[in-house]
Amino acid sequence: MTTKTLSIERREKTGTTSAHALRSEGKVPAVIYGHGTQPLHVAFDERAFADALHHGGRTAILTLSLGDSPNETVLVRDLQRDPISNRILHAELQRISEHESVHARLPIVTVGVARGVKDFAGVMDVLLHEIEVEGPADALPQHIEVDVTPLGIHEHTSAGDIALPSGLKLLTPADTVIVAIEASKTARQLEEAAFEQSEPEVIGQKPETTTPE
Amino acid sequence: MLTPKRVKWRKVHRGRMTGRSLRGSTLTFGEFGLQALEPCWMTSRQIEAARIAMTRHIKRGGKVWIKVFPDKPATKKPAEVRMGSGKGNPEFWVAVVRPGRVLFELAGVAPDVAREALRLAAAKLPIGTRVVAREETQV
Repeated sequence: MTTKTLSIERREKTGTTSAHALRSEGKVPAVIYGHGTQPLHVAFDERAFADALHHGGRTAILTLSLGDSPNETVLVRDLQRDPISNRILHAELQRISEHESVHARLPIVTVGVARGVKDFAGVMDVLLHEIEVEGPADALPQHIEVDVTPLGIHEHTSAGDIALPSGLKLLTPADTVIVAIEASKTARQLEEAAFEQSEPEVIGQKPETTTPE
Repeated sequence: MLTPKRVKWRKVHRGRMTGRSLRGSTLTFGEFGLQALEPCWMTSRQIEAARIAMTRHIKRGGKVWIKVFPDKPATKKPAEVRMGSGKGNPEFWVAVVRPGRVLFELAGVAPDVAREALRLAAAKLPIGTRVVAREETQV
């Protein structure tokens, strides 16, 4: 768990125009909600926020200082990014207290090379890239490591097999497959995709029949 | 080649390609992906050529996902035909691609092999693209 401090400013205007104006000034519009209080519209420096996310990850607790108001501790719940520039367009932040139990989605990082990949040239398929857990906000790791070394061909690791840090409870169904090792297809098998091009059937249109002369 | 099995209408309007991809702009399955930076009509032949280029390079192992489907019929009038007399005949199938769309995804291969395979695939496409990796798309 890491904690970063950011200074924020309250924004009075909401909507597209004011959000555009903020972004052109190098700021990110955001909303803070939670703990049964009114949502608070804020903005903060884009670089400082990106830096905090880069070093702390999505599970870092952010301490926000808002002028003369008391500091807020928040968790990043959602980020909207521009698909081309990858700039952060908007952030959703949830108020939390440090030891409060929260739900979080933690990214999965595989460790090692699977036996099935190393010895039998199999393909490792990561079917689930995030798992959902519940635990104290100050005990959330940046990611969950999954050791894939013992996995042979046609074997898999389920969510229930992952050793979670103490205090965390798994919310993803235990039988959900996380990583599977599949037999690899040869280049020829991959190229044997259907190449024939047939005329598609038009729904609701009767098939053409030959008219007798 | 990818073509629909059943369609509701043989010919459709051309539509517009303005704006950015509203969905399908993040990696969902693989570790690496090829992201479109320009809008285009991507034909089923171009998609197939890119897929073949990728699978030939990775040889054995790895998994490829094609994340666009050519479900739009494109029509063409025959050569040397005067304007008018209705819409042309459906000639090929296209996928409408807007900037930001992840076209292909790749997993289970070494990063250098994946990047080279996607570079070769990009050479078969009519638009500018870039290779994205999972760590780049996630915080």
